Amino acid sequence: MAPEDNRLTDGAPMRPVSCGQCGSRVLVRKSSWQQTSVQWNSEALRGCREHIAATSGPAAPAGLETCHALVATIRAATLNVTIEVLDDDRAG
Amino acid sequence: MSAVESEHDAVRSIDAGAAPTRFARGWHCLGLAEKFKDGKPHSVQAFGQKLVVFQSGNGTLNVLDAYCRHMGGDLSQGTVKGDQVACPFHDWRWGGDGRCKQIPYSRRVPLRARTAAWPTLDQDGMLFVWNDPEGHPPPADVTIPRIEGATSENWTDWVWYETEVDANCREVVDNVVDMAHFFYVHYSFPTYFKNVFEGHTATQYMRGSGRPDARPQEQDGSRAKTTGSNSVATYHGPSFMIDDLVYELDSGEAQCVLINCHYPVSADKFILQYGIIVKRSDTMSDNESEQLAAAMAEFIKLGFEQDIAIWKNKTRIDNPLLCEEDGPVYQLRRWYEQFYVDADAVRPEMTDRFEFELDTTRPVEAWQREVEDNLARKAAAAKTPAA
Ligand code: FES
Ligand SMILES: [Fe+2]
Repeated sequence: MAPEDNRLTDGAPMRPVSCGQCGSRVLVRKSSWQQTSVQWNSEALRGCREHIAATSGPAAPAGLETCHALVATIRAATLNVTIEVLDDDRAG
Repeated sequence: MSAVESEHDAVRSIDAGAAPTRFARGWHCLGLAEKFKDGKPHSVQAFGQKLVVFQSGNGTLNVLDAYCRHMGGDLSQGTVKGDQVACPFHDWRWGGDGRCKQIPYSRRVPLRARTAAWPTLDQDGMLFVWNDPEGHPPPADVTIPRIEGATSENWTDWVWYETEVDANCREVVDNVVDMAHFFYVHYSFPTYFKNVFEGHTATQYMRGSGRPDARPQEQDGSRAKTTGSNSVATYHGPSFMIDDLVYELDSGEAQCVLINCHYPVSADKFILQYGIIVKRSDTMSDNESEQLAAAMAEFIKLGFEQDIAIWKNKTRIDNPLLCEEDGPVYQLRRWYEQFYVDADAVRPEMTDRFEFELDTTRPVEAWQREVEDNLARKAAAAKTPAA
């Protein structure tokens, strides 16, 4: 079996989140307030408006650093603890 | 921090794995195109074999298997005759399409007189070859993007270096996600770090501040000091990275394009190459721009030498043990694997978009302290008169 990321096996796994804007379902993991992992699949990506805007049109695909709508959703999910933050410093 | 006891107490073993037995599918840069355009055939050791690169009379660069299908002569020791390369052994003539066009001493060319030819791309001053163990041509959407500055008068010419490294080329690709090594190995100071993998591209977004304590090339005080940098670096396929890089210098801003690319020689050897162009600015004379490009190239050369010193001595490791402030090494390798399996065996998880933003809070705190300590130590040493 291929070796696995010890952070996923020993810590928290990725958890599903749906974007508040487009409804795309992605997997998210936060090890801290600033750290975020996001796993997309092709269906979710096809639904993301910011991704469509960034990769279509005459200009060469610039690549999208982030989807702001999804960032906002993740932020909200973090605040209402739908996503657990592994290293929650706020809890002190 | 205390170690977790009991069940987590076993010695962790390193799984060194084995380097892949095939070579990556994708475009590989063989270097500046210019060096192959001197009318002579060139020998290039790549993908576990010997290749010949030659320019036909019409200007096209061609890449063939170097060994002649007649009696095994080395075409790279031959001569270019018109649009063909002529074997030094019995003068058989081979075209860029891999077909034998002519045997001067024979009435006809035998059947099956065809050798392996690699698709080539001569773009922005660089020569690329398409490698595919399955022998398919490059798909239309797998391209190397144009680099605007490369053909523009407003940018300097390429300053280019290449060097041989005795390691499997995965080591250089791993750097894409390895934030911490930029501090410890390269005297940089990352403050923002994010990776995005999608399709056949892998991107690193990195911003950094200066290292007043450490950059050896800035210590003599004669050169511009780096106060910050903003970099967007993308691998287009398994081996060719374009880095759009802006340096903030105490003398102003410098806009650069840095190429970081390689091609495998064998499973445990690769040729590492890097090139840089710098945008000319109103505040710089042409001469100053060239000097800046040369100085940056020198700096980047130093950076790669630092990497090479690590690679030469480290072990291959398939099961790195990561902390939360490390980048997505496993996910990068999952992405990288797409180039080592047949095209129809590429699984969605290898190409699906994955994002990873690193939390730099803790690293920045720790590194800030280290920089201050280094500066204090230096200041103290400067005050002490030499014995
Ligand atoms: S071996 Fe090449 S011509 Fe005979
Ligand atoms: Fe490095």
